[in-house]
Amino acid sequence: MTQLPYAVDAETPLNPAELNVLRAQYEKEGEMVGVQTKFNYAWGLVKSNVRADQHLGVMLLSEIFRTSPERRRECLYYLALGNYKLGNYAQARKYNDALLENEPANLQAANLRALIDDKVTKEGLMGVAIISGVAVAAGVIGGVLLRNLGRKR
Amino acid sequence: MANSDQNRDVFPDDVSIDDDTSVISTRGLEAFGRKVTTTASHLIGPITDPTSHPHYQTAMTEIHKQLQKPTLQRGVFAIARTTPTDLVRSKLSSKEIQSRALAYVPDELLRNIPASSNSYSLFQGFQASFPDFTDDGKKHKRRVSRGRKMLDESPVQPGSPHAVQRLKKDKASMMHQLEMLGVRKNMASSEIREIDNKIANLHGMRKIILDRLANLEKEEAVLEHDIMDVESRLDEAQELADEAESLAMATPNKSEEDLSRTEEGFMSQSIYEKLPAANTPPGKKKPRNHRKKTLPILHEHFEPGTMIRSMRAHQDNITALDFDAPFGLMVSAAMDDSVRVWDLNAGRCIGTLEGHTASVRTLQIEDNFLATGSMDATIKLWDLSKAHYDPQGSQEVDEEDEDLAFVNPNDHAVDPPAGSMADCPLFTLEAHLDEITALHFRGDVLVSGSADKTLRQWDLTKGRCVQTLDVMWAAAQATAMGSSDGPWRQTSRSADGSADFVGALQVFESALACGTADGMVRLWDLRSGQVHRSLVGHTGPVTCLQFDDVHLVTGSLDRSIRIWDLRTGSIFDAYAYDHPITSMMFDTRRIVCAAGEDVVKVYDKVEGRHWDCGAGITEAEKAKSPAIVERVRIRDGYMVEGRQDGVVGVWTC
Repeated sequence: MTQLPYAVDAETPLNPAELNVLRAQYEKEGEMVGVQTKFNYAWGLVKSNVRADQHLGVMLLSEIFRTSPERRRECLYYLALGNYKLGNYAQARKYNDALLENEPANLQAANLRALIDDKVTKEGLMGVAIISGVAVAAGVIGGVLLRNLGRKR
Repeated sequence: MANSDQNRDVFPDDVSIDDDTSVISTRGLEAFGRKVTTTASHLIGPITDPTSHPHYQTAMTEIHKQLQKPTLQRGVFAIARTTPTDLVRSKLSSKEIQSRALAYVPDELLRNIPASSNSYSLFQGFQASFPDFTDDGKKHKRRVSRGRKMLDESPVQPGSPHAVQRLKKDKASMMHQLEMLGVRKNMASSEIREIDNKIANLHGMRKIILDRLANLEKEEAVLEHDIMDVESRLDEAQELADEAESLAMATPNKSEEDLSRTEEGFMSQSIYEKLPAANTPPGKKKPRNHRKKTLPILHEHFEPGTMIRSMRAHQDNITALDFDAPFGLMVSAAMDDSVRVWDLNAGRCIGTLEGHTASVRTLQIEDNFLATGSMDATIKLWDLSKAHYDPQGSQEVDEEDEDLAFVNPNDHAVDPPAGSMADCPLFTLEAHLDEITALHFRGDVLVSGSADKTLRQWDLTKGRCVQTLDVMWAAAQATAMGSSDGPWRQTSRSADGSADFVGALQVFESALACGTADGMVRLWDLRSGQVHRSLVGHTGPVTCLQFDDVHLVTGSLDRSIRIWDLRTGSIFDAYAYDHPITSMMFDTRRIVCAAGEDVVKVYDKVEGRHWDCGAGITEAEKAKSPAIVERVRIRDGYMVEGRQDGVVGVWTC
């Protein structure tokens, strides 16, 4: 695998006209759609900012993965990237790890792994912060209530 | 995040639902949640820096201790693999769950990842094809920039560093373009390979379905035979029932008669009634109609030029043959003076037609009716539906023989039962003075051409000659009228005199076309008995002719096939082969010719393509040279050819 886009590429959406061209191409080929056309459309969808598009893109990618074994290795990366964009970090990590297992030296995959770890820790910390915040609030309210109850008695 | 709280509420601490297979282990989640609450409750009291607080540290060590247990370790690992939002989505939103299920890739597939052997990556393909998608994309711009560059080139000093930089940039972009072109090239070739694979797959599917079709037709044939069987049994049963009924009618009469036994006339009457009733059922067997109920279409799906069957029909040169429908009946005549009837479906001889005293030169079969014209100057008509032949029954024993016959045409076919054709002759037409060389019938009208230089029109309902057309007289008439046709003149090519005077003819209602040895094709009007048009062009005797509603096609010993436009009388198309044409026929798509070669010459009218079909092609590899094809017939792409050594081949065309 010589060329893979970095995750940044996935963050830059195509303009709608371009995506439409890809879609038209995909629909024109109908049932006998070629792998490249399918991938073009799927990649265009993954790059999009609309969540529904991203879902469709990942679905198409998984179809490619299933039907053409010779493209599996590449597809792993795109699946990981797509799931990363969707926020499905568990899936993204699964695919990315599978890819790294096959190609430990893959720069893009290593980059993506770092990105996923980054995101997970960030959101995880946020989560812990929020939980603890909620807990603190509950505790304070509880304490106040208890104190009030105590006073009444 | 609310979810982790919720989870904690939903699952009480003591309940351990072990679900290690799920993406996140609930046990680990619970444990973690518990720890979080403990930490949180520790934090409630004094609000200080949490890390510095001893309680926090004890809690952390507690967690650490628990983390050393492998299962829990796994659980926490699982949770660290993803974020709470992801968890919420994967567990709660039905839409998300649905799309995840659709995009799910099973683990077996994940493990089965072959090394990629592609010359370009999908992403490169994407990049390479992207300029094409946007109409005025890079391509256009590139051209513009090149133009601009050429314009700009003159003012820039060639030696300046600016120019070097620019040239370097240009070179880089051109290299990039070259690379992209390479990728695109690879894409195109791999796409072609993909399509080839698909075509191969489709071919496989076609083969499977063709087999299915063959089986269906086989079943159809068996069922048809059964139906015929049942029909004949039904007829017999009906007759028996009728007989029983008439007997039942008779018996009360008899009892009545017993009562009044004086009436003798009545009794004799009942006997009179009974006698023919008893005689009819065994004696008069209704002629069974062998007409097929179903239409075989299998041959239409074969590759053109496939051999369906080959059989040694005669020991001598085939002089005439015809068949009524694909996989129907075929009649062949040869120099050995025999006329044989064949079942093309089974490839078996049904019987021999006896009656002519010399060899049959021409014959036609239509709807079970057969007309044969012989060198003994007579025409005979036959009804083939009266043949005693069971298309399926009593043949099961011969199945292997049949297969052998299919493989080896030299194997002698099973001899048909003698006398199977005894009921077939209808009547004989005698009036010609010399051998019959051509005949054609349609409906009640039969026209024959003879070496006595006349054509005769026959009425088949009455069985007699109604008109005689003298070709020489018509030719003389044409000269007298000063028409450009000229008198009868022997063409140079038939100097040996071997050609038939009337080579071919065809009739349609009152229209008659005949081709003669002078190379002329004359169109007659049977109502007036006059030639109303002569088509001049062939330089040798006309040997074959056929017309439909627009065109007339003629073949001649001058080696050419001419296609005439019937409306204008002008030539529409013509082509020639290497040898004299002895036989020709066309269907909706092809014109097939026997042109003195071991193959049949086929002209595909739709594609405008010439090709060869026949034994000369298939047996070329075996270094055998089959005999020359003498006669050829085609109907709906089902072609039958007869050769000089008596072998008859059946082909799809």
